[in-house]
Amino acid sequence: MLRQIWIVSVLNFKSLTSRFWQSMVIVVGLAATIGVMLSMLSLATGMRQAYYNAGDPGRAIVVSKGADQEGQSAITRAMAPMIAVAPGIAKDTDGKPLADRGLNMGIPVLRKDGSRGQTTMRGLAEKGQGVRPELKIVAGRMFERGKRELIAGTGAQNLYQHMQIGDKVILPDGEWPIVGVFATGDLLEGQLLGDTETLLTATHKTNYNSVLVRLASQNSLPAFKNALTRNSALSVTVERHSDWYKRVASEQTFGLALLGYIVGAVMAIGALFGCLNTMYSAVSTRGREIATLRALGYGAFPVAVSVILEAVVLSISGAIIGGAIAWALYDGKQDVFGGMIFHLSVSPAQFELGVIWAGAVALLGGLFPSIRAARRPVVEALRAT
Amino acid sequence: MKYLPLIWTAVMRKPARTILTLLSVTVAFTLFGLMIGLNATFDLVANRARADRIFTGPRFGNALGTGMPIAIARQIAAMPGVKVVTAVNFIPGYVQDPKNPAFLVMLDDNAEKVVEDWPIPPEVWSAIRKDRTGIVMSKNQAARWHKKVGDNFTMISKAVKRADGKNSWTFKVLAIGDDIAEQTNGYMFGNYDYIDKAKPLADQGKVNEIDLLATDPATATELAQRIDRTFANSATPLQTTTDKMARSGKDFNGLDVKAITHGIALAGMFMVLFLTGNGIAESVRERFAEFATLKTLGFSDRAVTALVVLEAALPCVVGAALGVAVAGFLAGQIPALMPPGFGLPLPTISPMVMLWAAVSAFAVALLSAALPIARLTRMDIASALSGRA
Repeated sequence: MLRQIWIVSVLNFKSLTSRFWQSMVIVVGLAATIGVMLSMLSLATGMRQAYYNAGDPGRAIVVSKGADQEGQSAITRAMAPMIAVAPGIAKDTDGKPLADRGLNMGIPVLRKDGSRGQTTMRGLAEKGQGVRPELKIVAGRMFERGKRELIAGTGAQNLYQHMQIGDKVILPDGEWPIVGVFATGDLLEGQLLGDTETLLTATHKTNYNSVLVRLASQNSLPAFKNALTRNSALSVTVERHSDWYKRVASEQTFGLALLGYIVGAVMAIGALFGCLNTMYSAVSTRGREIATLRALGYGAFPVAVSVILEAVVLSISGAIIGGAIAWALYDGKQDVFGGMIFHLSVSPAQFELGVIWAGAVALLGGLFPSIRAARRPVVEALRAT
Repeated sequence: MKYLPLIWTAVMRKPARTILTLLSVTVAFTLFGLMIGLNATFDLVANRARADRIFTGPRFGNALGTGMPIAIARQIAAMPGVKVVTAVNFIPGYVQDPKNPAFLVMLDDNAEKVVEDWPIPPEVWSAIRKDRTGIVMSKNQAARWHKKVGDNFTMISKAVKRADGKNSWTFKVLAIGDDIAEQTNGYMFGNYDYIDKAKPLADQGKVNEIDLLATDPATATELAQRIDRTFANSATPLQTTTDKMARSGKDFNGLDVKAITHGIALAGMFMVLFLTGNGIAESVRERFAEFATLKTLGFSDRAVTALVVLEAALPCVVGAALGVAVAGFLAGQIPALMPPGFGLPLPTISPMVMLWAAVSAFAVALLSAALPIARLTRMDIASALSGRA
């Protein structure tokens, strides 16, 4: 049986060259479908990756109870020290806990293409760099505590106007200069950073947005969480930083991913009809050849399998071509969506998804033609011109 | 006309092929309609944006928070070149569960003059002024919350508390208005004065946005810059833009809508081009001898060309028409599919979209027919008739 499938399939593929343009319908159809889908998904995938990179499982974030975004949360000046003394927090070299009082607010920016956008300006307190060791200054210097100055992320500098060292950012009661550029490898690169306490005063705010702590070990989260939730003076939610961003990522990228899948699905349906068309006509042009094989004693099943196999091989090569084009055009390209800067991503997982979609289209598109090929009475097929 | 039966026979020679091609073309044009229609919506919004309207709000910080002092609105109203100023408050929140976000805009008495192009009749404006707990919903929002005129609408807002400390707000639906293309999630609005008085004393007199009209559209940009300059060093720096500036860009959250929609539409066309091209080539190849007969009967090259082009054009044009119709239907379903608040505008199937679909359908047909036609015009009739070609 396997031998028969093998022989029939080899025969099939050898005759492909004579049906080159016909076969290209499937290849091009799937290349277009998967190319477009992966290009669109590169947005959601890249964005998700930027969130994941920001979420360190060795950190925990504390926000006010029920807040699921930093912007909605308020941690009072009285609460912050109580959080910092809780057990389970790693200690800095000076013996003080690695807990950072964070501030988080929107600020308008002008994108390089002239459109208006919004990014996040964050406040980092004394232990900000200790909690975020991934933060590196790549140009200029770190902002000084107590001074009205900011540093900009590399992404912000690439995609927004007026983000060079020396440029001024309008804040209440005067402008603040940008004194340095930082890199983190995550979504912070699209943002601006300043000193929490100075920003708090300047913006007339009274509360922090969050407290980010470095855990003593990845296992010390339960102890830390218990201590905070048992403290009746606090009303806070504690979450592992990586879990926090996983949730935020799925909330923020859902719509974009859905859009990619919808467009991909519509195109896949179009490609499916093309695939059906091609395979039906392939089966009919090869009618005699198939009938001859059947007359020689080959079974109906190997014939059917060979038809589906042809559709699968053509579809998947199309998907790989489409995926490769999407990868070449977009993978790694820095882009902006809303207030986020990230690198578009066409990952191996996305490729795999594209190949699976193509395989599904091919199975559906090859199934009915293969049944027709297998069922056609031998005598009739041999007689047909 | 006399060719019609000929073309029909040719098209129906292999009905399965014709139908599958038609379906594929229909799907490609559905995508085409949605994409170019989305583009059309951005054009529409840009064209409708008014040069004399100006929006301003706090430059930084959470615009949905407590807001800025209403004194700013009075200061702006006193600036030269300003015609009328309206103060706007937002109630961001949700209905029953945070998963159902809702957004209510509270407008004061001047709003009617500033947003005079909204499809709101004067009697609705005066109803909102009289019944202070009343709101107006767009059809989109009314469908989303299953509300009709006279129903109560309750939302929870963590950001905006009432004087008694509660954060649940109940309103009565007074009217349901037509949707506006630029308000992609629909709209709901109520009475500013009511919410201002209902808030705790400390939060009163704060506004989230100030909208105004300039006396002269030509000076609106200068006025917007003047407003920003005036407040740049104050406690509340402002971010001011004209309606025209805010809506002229073809960007959705920074994405280049034009490039993306055109790219996707083009990919779809490319996909069907191979299919239709292959179909027509196959059809001509199979009937090569028949074409030779037609030529023997005195059909000119031009007539044969017309036959092939029309045969190729039939599924393309019919598919384009069907596809654009399906796109028009699907456009209305998008809000139900996308997560609330995603804010992608609805595609508009404008005459321009239909025209482009028709042009593209003919272009695909012509390109598909080009090679077979070249073969037919170069054919040697004798050898074709004998089946040697």
